[in-house]
Amino acid sequence: MKDGKKTNVIAFTVLLFLSALFLFPIYLVVMNSFKSRFNIVSEPFAFPDSETFVGLENYITGIESSGIIDALFRTVFITVGSVLAIVIFTSMTAWYITRVKNKYTKGIYYLFLFSMIVPFQMVMFTMTAVCIKLGLNNIFGIIPVYLGFGSGLSVFMFSGFIKSLPKEIEEAAMIDGCSPLKTFFVVVFPILKPTAITVAILNAMWIWNDFLLPYLLLGTNNKTLSVAIQITMQGAYGSINWGGFMAMLVLAIIPIIIFYMFCQKYIIKGVIDGAVKG
Amino acid sequence: MEKNIKKYFPIFLLPTLISFILVFLIPFVLGIYLSFTKFTTVENATWVGIENYIQAFTQDTNFLNALWFTVKFTVVSVITVNVLAFCLALILTRAIRGTSFFRTVFFMPNLIGGIVLGYIWNLLINSVLGMFGYDITYDAKFGFWGLVFLMNWQLIGYMMVIYIAGIQNIPKELNEAARIDGASPFNILKNITIPMVMPSVTICLFLTLTNSFKLFDQNLALTGGAPARETSMLALDIFNTFYGRIGWQGVGQAKAVVFFLIVATIAFIQLKITARKEVEQ
Amino acid sequence: MASISLKNIKKTYEDGVTVIENLNLEINDKEFVILVGPSGCGKSTTLRMIAGLEEISDGELYIGNRLVNNVSPKDRDIAMVFQSYALYPHMSVYKNMAFGLKNRKVPKDEIDKKVRAAAKTLEIEKYLNRKPRALSGGQRQRVALGRAMVREPSVFLLDEPLSNLDAKLRTEMRSRISMLHKELQTTFVYVTHDQTEAMTMGDRIVVMKDGVIMQNDTPQMLYNHPQNMFVAGFIGSPQMNFINCKILRKQDCFYASFNEYNIKLPMRMNEALSLYADKEVVLGVRPEDIYIEKEYFKGDLNNVIHLYVDIAEMTGANYYIYGSIADKKLIADISPNSKIIKDTVCNLAIDTDKIHIFDTVSEKLICD
Repeated sequence: MKDGKKTNVIAFTVLLFLSALFLFPIYLVVMNSFKSRFNIVSEPFAFPDSETFVGLENYITGIESSGIIDALFRTVFITVGSVLAIVIFTSMTAWYITRVKNKYTKGIYYLFLFSMIVPFQMVMFTMTAVCIKLGLNNIFGIIPVYLGFGSGLSVFMFSGFIKSLPKEIEEAAMIDGCSPLKTFFVVVFPILKPTAITVAILNAMWIWNDFLLPYLLLGTNNKTLSVAIQITMQGAYGSINWGGFMAMLVLAIIPIIIFYMFCQKYIIKGVIDGAVKG
Repeated sequence: MEKNIKKYFPIFLLPTLISFILVFLIPFVLGIYLSFTKFTTVENATWVGIENYIQAFTQDTNFLNALWFTVKFTVVSVITVNVLAFCLALILTRAIRGTSFFRTVFFMPNLIGGIVLGYIWNLLINSVLGMFGYDITYDAKFGFWGLVFLMNWQLIGYMMVIYIAGIQNIPKELNEAARIDGASPFNILKNITIPMVMPSVTICLFLTLTNSFKLFDQNLALTGGAPARETSMLALDIFNTFYGRIGWQGVGQAKAVVFFLIVATIAFIQLKITARKEVEQ
Repeated sequence: MASISLKNIKKTYEDGVTVIENLNLEINDKEFVILVGPSGCGKSTTLRMIAGLEEISDGELYIGNRLVNNVSPKDRDIAMVFQSYALYPHMSVYKNMAFGLKNRKVPKDEIDKKVRAAAKTLEIEKYLNRKPRALSGGQRQRVALGRAMVREPSVFLLDEPLSNLDAKLRTEMRSRISMLHKELQTTFVYVTHDQTEAMTMGDRIVVMKDGVIMQNDTPQMLYNHPQNMFVAGFIGSPQMNFINCKILRKQDCFYASFNEYNIKLPMRMNEALSLYADKEVVLGVRPEDIYIEKEYFKGDLNNVIHLYVDIAEMTGANYYIYGSIADKKLIADISPNSKIIKDTVCNLAIDTDKIHIFDTVSEKLICD
């Protein structure tokens, strides 16, 4: 047992070192966001001192020059709207195709599964063309677009859970006087809650961070966070204001860290469930 | 009951189905068609047969370069990510203080988006290389290893939690029985832990495989393909063909179809393996 | 309060499998009818068709005098108790019971009164605010009953409601459900695979096999006069003994002949057996109709057999002997005071008044 204790101390030290390594890139960005823009490039690893420390100056210039606050709100709106639409509509779809069994629903189910293996680049150009034609290239129109792209995994996860649910509960509800719609929302959906949380988290992580889809549909006028960051860098052609850029990165990370701190348990569970089923 | 629900198909099915058809199904079919045509917009396509495919493989060396680069990157990433994640999972499933803190830290990078991740590592790598007077775009090697490091940083924690779940699912009695049978810790690892977490290994291998293979955002942000497209992966190369070269959209679409076929093959193999495993159990 | 009438009911699933070919059954108002049979016999399907959960492929189903083939479950004025209880996991016991009434827009105070009254009858008042998962199996069972009760339906459907309970609780709930039937004065249709439940609870038992009604009778009639070998074997525990034998006729008497024995059959069977002389039949006798020879005083003739005792099982009230005559296995339930020694031969007498004779091919009763 003494041996075990010793290895544990070694393991603990190794883990501590690794954690530092894992946190270092983030530390580097946060630290540099408080340094003057010229010192970031010349002495990236130096801690800000009285000379190089600029307070919130980078944040002010970063926010002013890039419209990142607007981007933040836009991203929140798109993410929340899309996740709500995905959770509500795909759970309904999954329930329907699991409970009504025929060759059509089976075919639809396999189509959804199929969509999961198609890389985005395959439909990127044509999808953009279709969506622009339909007028979906705005922050409201992008919600049904996310619903379409998110439906594969979400329908798959909901279906998996619904298959394991005893039908009797729904039958009891029908005998108790519920219409199918009421059965679904009052009885089935509350039971689906754990899966709904998983689906919501997986989709939220994807949509929040997504770059290519909003870049193609919303372009540079309706930037989301990822698009704003990419465009700032791209548009600068090397003469970037590093201070403001660091501040932007920090602002993009903060909401994720906050979200992670509050929902860590669900996020990790969701990611495991999603991986095992997907 | 079924008949009763059936009538509600417009409410339950249509919202999802219409979105799905409009943004996925139609573009998918249209995409396959367009890969056999020359076009600049969807409306002005003219049929050219398999010319686009031939061009993608012959005239445009970027595509084969990107394919080779992607394969190399995927192999290295899959191995490093999984070995490291599994080791971390082994350590973290022992009774060590602060397990949940470590798990939190290692998992966190996974939540940060590819673009942001790319620029964080861009700063870090350029800062380190800067001390020697280099830059990440100086040599494709830097970009390659930069991407590998980034991928490890992002995915290790994710794979680790899946391995942890797998290890924790092994019944305690199995370890105890083995210890009573006189198995050494290494024996237990080899004969019990690893065989028992094989389902998790399959999952993680394919997750890292597809994630690495389809990588785009990180690639765009970290190197943008520089120097001279040498570090472009498939997804980025397709994007550049579409939007970087006028008149090459057809070739881009053909490349995308090839890309899809490769990814579908990987998924198909995974499906076969998983199905076979399930039968065995 | 309503009668139920099934006329030429047929059920074919979408994959083409027909589970019920042509079923006819009348259930009277306020009756307690039990559908019993082995799994897959179509009893649950029949119940679910009455509930409206399963579509009827052909035939007519009436509840009261109303044709309900195309009426949805909620409009059939029925309530159902499921084997898995099917309680709403996210609602409290109170809400579970009130749900059906709320959907029917019953005033709040009336719901409250009904729920509390039902909870009192079922002794679950203490748990009204709990979620189902915080209850034991027996308590959940009572909530499921309560949920059906408050609705005051005209037909009460129960699908194997006791099969998830342990033996002791099951006995208790059996009498509780019987009492409930008396109290509610409505039609009960109860599905079970357990013949003890069927025998103890029902006014009438419908024994089913492969989608066909094998017999539809009172418990006593089923037990004493089974119409075929299936019912004879299904009802009663331990099972009725079946002995393959040959009918012999000597003057005016008929004998059942097997191995070295010729059991003299009672005169009342003569007419029925006249066609079966020298033919193979199956003789059925219940274990409890076999006695120790010394203790049997009815004075039948040629009714003694010599049984080699394989196992003697004393359960307290009963004494079971599992024995054999050459290749034939036999069970006898004899007086617990007897002394039987394993691996010896004992002399037993068959009560020929209680003998049943079945046709070998059709397995139908010839006479009893």
